[in-house]
Amino acid sequence: MFSFRNAFFASALLACWGAAHAQLDAKYPGVGRVATAHEVAAWDIDVRPDFKGLPAGSGTVAKGQDVWESKCAQCHGIFGESGEVSSPLVGGVSPDDIKKGRVANLMNAAYPGRTTFMKVATLSTVWDYINRAMPWTAPKSLTTDEVYSVVAFLLNLNGIVVDDFTLSDQNIREVQGRMPNRNGMSTRHSMWPGNEFGKASKPDTRNVACNTRCSVQLERSNS
Amino acid sequence: MPSKFESGVRRRHCPGLTQTVQASVSFAPLQSLFGIVTPSGVHFERHHQGLWDIDPSRHRLMINGMVKSAKVFTLDEIMRLPVVSRFHFIECSANTAVEWGNVAVPTVQYTHGMISCSEFSGVPLITLLELAGADLRNGKFVLAEGADGSSMTRTIPMSLIKSGELFVAYGQNGEMLRPEQGYPLRLIVPGVQGVSWVKYLRRIEVGDMPYATKDEAIHYIDLQPDGLERQYTSIQECKSVVTTPSGGQLLMNKGFYNITGLAWSGRGKVKRVDVSVDGGRNWRSARLETPVLSKALTRFNLNWVWDGKPSIIQSRAMDETGFVQPTYKQLRAVRGTRSTYHNNAIQSWLVQDNGEVKNVQLS
Repeated sequence: MFSFRNAFFASALLACWGAAHAQLDAKYPGVGRVATAHEVAAWDIDVRPDFKGLPAGSGTVAKGQDVWESKCAQCHGIFGESGEVSSPLVGGVSPDDIKKGRVANLMNAAYPGRTTFMKVATLSTVWDYINRAMPWTAPKSLTTDEVYSVVAFLLNLNGIVVDDFTLSDQNIREVQGRMPNRNGMSTRHSMWPGNEFGKASKPDTRNVACNTRCSVQLERSNS
Repeated sequence: MPSKFESGVRRRHCPGLTQTVQASVSFAPLQSLFGIVTPSGVHFERHHQGLWDIDPSRHRLMINGMVKSAKVFTLDEIMRLPVVSRFHFIECSANTAVEWGNVAVPTVQYTHGMISCSEFSGVPLITLLELAGADLRNGKFVLAEGADGSSMTRTIPMSLIKSGELFVAYGQNGEMLRPEQGYPLRLIVPGVQGVSWVKYLRRIEVGDMPYATKDEAIHYIDLQPDGLERQYTSIQECKSVVTTPSGGQLLMNKGFYNITGLAWSGRGKVKRVDVSVDGGRNWRSARLETPVLSKALTRFNLNWVWDGKPSIIQSRAMDETGFVQPTYKQLRAVRGTRSTYHNNAIQSWLVQDNGEVKNVQLS
């Protein structure tokens, strides 16, 4: 709730922060310079899960197929099924997974392999990585619309969008709502070294340091 | 350079494990090392998009995002700032990954060789963030970005930055970082898996949510038996391994041997290491050699007289939080066998009556 009291503390904090900043600048004068807006725009290309950083643009599944066959299929296979270099991007997801946001095959230990679209929960990840790292031999050489179109093609191969779909910055949030494993990630574990995801839980194994005549199973496996 | 008689002591690739040399891994020869420092020439390697040798005069580090003013630093400028030097281990979270389901590889170089320990020198990241006027209250996460072919990125916890533990290193074991370790700048994230130690570091962005980058949303996620993927698993939990005797070695005759190995914890110092020579029925505490440092390798030793009979040798580490390294049975009971990353189970080596040492698992 807003109050003058809070506003006072907020401005006091801001003032302290500003003062500390100026002080440090004075402590290490001449080290570093202010980045230009052009430099930041050129370097800061990451796209977050909330799509902050996503440039405007669009691309069709059909265009994506053209780009795919000329620049991606050599390593990833014509249908993203994998190739000489890459592991599979496509397959293992069902219409029911798209409805629920959990990939059933991940619960099935007998299902062979895990494709990218079985695992990934965030569409931003796919867009960001293709944009920053692909093609392998010429990273960052795709245009923004080519990235949209390749992502549209991969979504189509996985049955997430229809054949005549056009993916854009306007509808990408709706498509995020159809990602097959969008509800499949958990941060409820003890292996993040802070409280940024909420209260840390306890380690999930609890061995006890027994010293003598401990119970063990001495039958060797797979030796 | 090492003696020509030591030419067998080198890092090794695992044929068939990866498809390209530009995105691959090589393993450190733990069985041949002493103390806690890994010589830079045999330090394990992991590349995500190429091995680069960047001209330091052209390299820049940018700090942007939730900051008062985005800043750019040259390497020379970073080297003018107050420097810290600290020993830390770096372990790939996929270390021992091939052993989740069953015994897969013969030697400690391949079971545990994706760990190394060095003295790193550099500037605390908090200093650089403060120089840019970072909003440390609302900026809960930072993105670290490298200058490899993929501009590889990872989300870094602000709590570790605020603690002053994280630093931007240019030095390793007394010399400049080597190209395979990220020359000229690398992020040092003590206790956290190696993938977060971004090499060729070129940009730090302060933000208020995690970034779900490729290496924390498609890879480096830990599949659990219920089909959920654990995301942002980062800490390397307490672990140890006996490096001599270990798989592939041969004890020539019975008698005295020094059992030696390494222990570490991403949560702090190693407090105790126990060793068993009878498959875990009885344990003796090993000697911890100095120095025992937080989030660094710790060397342990134990006297042993081999009677010539089959013997299963294991080590079990405990860290200062009281956490005890788990058995395979305990680990699999909670995580199954498909989580790929963060296998910190107790390792077993079988010394056969002919003196040959084999990698085994107790079910």
